[in-house]
Amino acid sequence: MIVVALLLVAACATTAVLVRDPVHQALVLAVLGTVLAVLFTVLQAPDVALSQLAVGSALTPLLMLLAVRKVKRPRRHKGDER
Amino acid sequence: MNGWLLTAGVVLAAGGAAALLGVATGPLRRRVVAQNLLTALACPGLLLLAQAYDRPSYVDVALVLALLGPVGTLVFARLLADELAADPPRARTLTWAAAGLGAAVVVVLCAAVGPSRAMVKLLVTGALLIVGNVIASHALSGGFPGESR
Amino acid sequence: MRRRTVLALAEFLIWWAALLALWLVLVSAVDTLELAVGAGAAGLGALAATAARRAVTAP
Repeated sequence: MIVVALLLVAACATTAVLVRDPVHQALVLAVLGTVLAVLFTVLQAPDVALSQLAVGSALTPLLMLLAVRKVKRPRRHKGDER
Repeated sequence: MNGWLLTAGVVLAAGGAAALLGVATGPLRRRVVAQNLLTALACPGLLLLAQAYDRPSYVDVALVLALLGPVGTLVFARLLADELAADPPRARTLTWAAAGLGAAVVVVLCAAVGPSRAMVKLLVTGALLIVGNVIASHALSGGFPGESR
Repeated sequence: MRRRTVLALAEFLIWWAALLALWLVLVSAVDTLELAVGAGAAGLGALAATAARRAVTAP
């Protein structure tokens, strides 16, 4: 079971590095967060898994997508106040 | 190695591998669907793990995942609304298959636990999982057009 | 006017009962202290839920 979870985490992390587009990277990171939570549960650390779920599956992708949005926006609306 | 652990391993390995494959390749609409489905598959896996290790408190992890997974998917649905509107994902069969798997796992675990407060907790988790996933999938396929401002 | 007060009170009580039941399902052991804390927390949650429902379905 530990081996399965470790293999999944390794594959996810490698994919996250190899994918180039930031939006796609955010999606892979969300998957990685969930898989990491499973790994922590398998290693008998459910408290760590809880915090990992909260941060990894919702907060990190939200921050990344907001950053991508912020970077993309000025190019489209030049002279806009935001 | 008991049967619960074996089932959890199979569900998690198959679901994780499928979601990873879906999220790493293909158009954007397939990637978001794969990310949504991983939540729907990892939650029953975590419930099975809790039963396998005989630690009822591990159900909390599955409960939080059932609550936060759809929230994460809704984040994507909201912030990628422009990209998804041009090419909306359709995954009704997959969504209902995953929901059916979750329901089956919850029913089997309820039968194993027997009528008690733990069973009600399992039922709450399962209901949250299925409702959250159906809502998230609906939002991904542009089901709430008035909401996307 | 009076009817509206009764309706609001009934809504609050339904929210409170549902939230208290959820609390009692999710705690690990039921005893008097848990019951008291759960009743308080369910009261706060019911207040918030009533206010949120009113804000969403504004006339």
